[in-house]
Amino acid sequence: MSKLTTIALLGQPNSGKSTLFNALTGLHQHVGNWPGKTVEKKEGTFTHDGKEYALADLPGSYSLSANSDEEVITRDFISSGKADVVCILADSSQLERSLFMTADYVGITVPCFLVLNMSDVAKEQGKKIDAKALEKKLGVPVILFSATDTKSYEPFYTALEKAISSGKTIDASALEEAYHKIDGYQEIKSLIPDNLIPGYSSTWLAAKAIENDPVVTAKLTNNLPDEVMGKLKSLAVSGKGAIATGECKFAWIDSVLDGAVSSSKTSVSLGKLDRIYTHKFWGKPAVVLTVLLGLIASFIPALPLMGVGMGVDALKGVVATALANAGCPAFVMGLICDVGIQSLSYVIKMLGFVFGVTLVFGMLEEVGVMARISYVFDNTMGKLGLQGKSVMPFLVSFGCTMGGAAGARVIDNWGQKVLTIALAWAVPCGAAWAIIPMLSTVFFGAGAPLIIVALLLVMLLHMWVTAKVFGAGLVKSKDRYGMIMELPPYHKPKWGALLRYVFGRTKDTFLRVIKVVLLVCVIFWLLSYSGNGNGSSILYRIGVAIEPVTKLVGLPWQLFLAFIASSVGKEGAVGVISALYTGSDYGAAFSRAMSGGGAAANLNEILLANVGRPEALAFIFAITFNLPCVVALAATYQEIHSAKWTAKIALYYTVTALILACIAYHVGMLIW
Amino acid sequence: MKLSELKENQTAIVAGLEGDSRFIGRITSIGLTPGCTVKVIKNDKNRPVLVYSRDTMIALNRNECSGIEVKEA
Repeated sequence: MSKLTTIALLGQPNSGKSTLFNALTGLHQHVGNWPGKTVEKKEGTFTHDGKEYALADLPGSYSLSANSDEEVITRDFISSGKADVVCILADSSQLERSLFMTADYVGITVPCFLVLNMSDVAKEQGKKIDAKALEKKLGVPVILFSATDTKSYEPFYTALEKAISSGKTIDASALEEAYHKIDGYQEIKSLIPDNLIPGYSSTWLAAKAIENDPVVTAKLTNNLPDEVMGKLKSLAVSGKGAIATGECKFAWIDSVLDGAVSSSKTSVSLGKLDRIYTHKFWGKPAVVLTVLLGLIASFIPALPLMGVGMGVDALKGVVATALANAGCPAFVMGLICDVGIQSLSYVIKMLGFVFGVTLVFGMLEEVGVMARISYVFDNTMGKLGLQGKSVMPFLVSFGCTMGGAAGARVIDNWGQKVLTIALAWAVPCGAAWAIIPMLSTVFFGAGAPLIIVALLLVMLLHMWVTAKVFGAGLVKSKDRYGMIMELPPYHKPKWGALLRYVFGRTKDTFLRVIKVVLLVCVIFWLLSYSGNGNGSSILYRIGVAIEPVTKLVGLPWQLFLAFIASSVGKEGAVGVISALYTGSDYGAAFSRAMSGGGAAANLNEILLANVGRPEALAFIFAITFNLPCVVALAATYQEIHSAKWTAKIALYYTVTALILACIAYHVGMLIW
Repeated sequence: MKLSELKENQTAIVAGLEGDSRFIGRITSIGLTPGCTVKVIKNDKNRPVLVYSRDTMIALNRNECSGIEVKEA
């Protein structure tokens, strides 16, 4: 296979990098992690004029310093020679600030071109940008672009090809001249020979050395004799180098823009919507309302898929009858209907919701609403080591944890994304809300609201503890900082690219989720399979055997099995209880219950006759804080693409649910 | 004075930056360097400070902006 031309996308957050990436690659993308790093890696391919290109979406950062893994990965990828050309994105509406990345790129020897995105927004603001003049000053192709405008793409391809064929890199002389005024710069530069480290010019290396960049300093130490390095270090000692080079970079940007940009200066003020979001009292309610409306809106595109899921479910009866008529053995029939068709129906129904959430919240991200949510909840979520955006997956999880996991996609830091999903699991989902109030009322009558309040308080405590338990490994203390970010102007979403992206993600999710769900369901089904109904399933035997232990946490074997069943789906737990206590064929009842039905009509009497209040309390806590369901588990795996972390979180939830049950049981014993 | 001591709608000039190299790197890369003009748009307790500078609305965590020294324009 011949090597594809590889393009690396470089840009600050909100420069429209993801939109361009999605628009170019569509369904041809792959998301994983950079080897050994907690940073997401997005790659894709596209074809233009019969030529195939590989596109790497580099992690978003504001500069090319060494402050985070994201920035170091970005630098290493570019200098490693893996990219044939770098496409630098800047926001036309905030050109001065967003060209900082370009200024930081000056001195890197990989060919590049500059895409001034969101030129439509700049035009609305009355800014006129002369791309040709900029091109002349920089020495590389420069285009005005709007990712949402299909007419923009031809010039993009032209600039891309021009950048590859000319192989030019940004003219560094003007910036170099500015650097000369910094104390020690010229001496440091004279100590660094040309072509010392591939990908970087001595200009770039000297500037980074002045900035006390630890990675560059280490690289120089490896490549220079000790006495030269000692001299270099003594010159770069001030600690204020980054401020000086920063001033040079902005002075350079001013000189580049001088004469190429004109604007009719307008005074700044917050728009009507932003006045609400930034209001000290109404901001939080407005965000919560936005997310809830988003949640409701997610159901609209979800409905057709949910209908399909129901249709698949209805097939089960038809297929079962047909198989029975054909003399199919019960075992095979169970495997096909109770596992195969059931899982498929379950996943398709949930998928509708994932599709809706990805679309609606992806749109809110693109429009710029997510940045406002970050602002409003920065302080609160910062205490958990998270971004303000994390509040959205939490709220969505009250509806469906799978939706919460899908919504966590807008969090751009992998560690914070995993932590957000791990905490979102503690939020009782719609299925829990369907059964917990019912169980609480049966056992505690008028006291039921107290149980609900207790559950919500425990949820907050759970999230706090979980943030402590997993936080240290996922979000390093050096990455825990308060927000320094822009609130971008509102943008129009690019529906075509967004839809294609959402379809692609939904398809990926489906393929991966169905595998996990099938696997887990087969295991559960086999464990609960009781052959001819004489009560000898493996699950039953284990449940009875370890009952002395589970009783310590307040769960007799029937409730313990129902707890296990709730890991697959909470709706099924009640059906399992009623099957187990009525002594009916629970093998069949178990699989029926998994399908979300099968509770006996006289459930209340059955429960009251067999289960005491402390046990009931233990059971309520156990299933509320158990892992949400097998589909949420699979969706988590799909979003964080780490089997290790998914398993860790799942195991943690099973154990903590039992601990909480134990505490609830013993508290219950004291009361009743 | 500190940036966070400014009142809403006040305009000031960044006089100096104080902090570790990580902070300096982040704050300069978002456009706040000595000499640049900032206008405070919002400054509410328990919320990031909202400033406008270099055509950009920037949200700054209150702890982080304790390292930004300003003088009145």
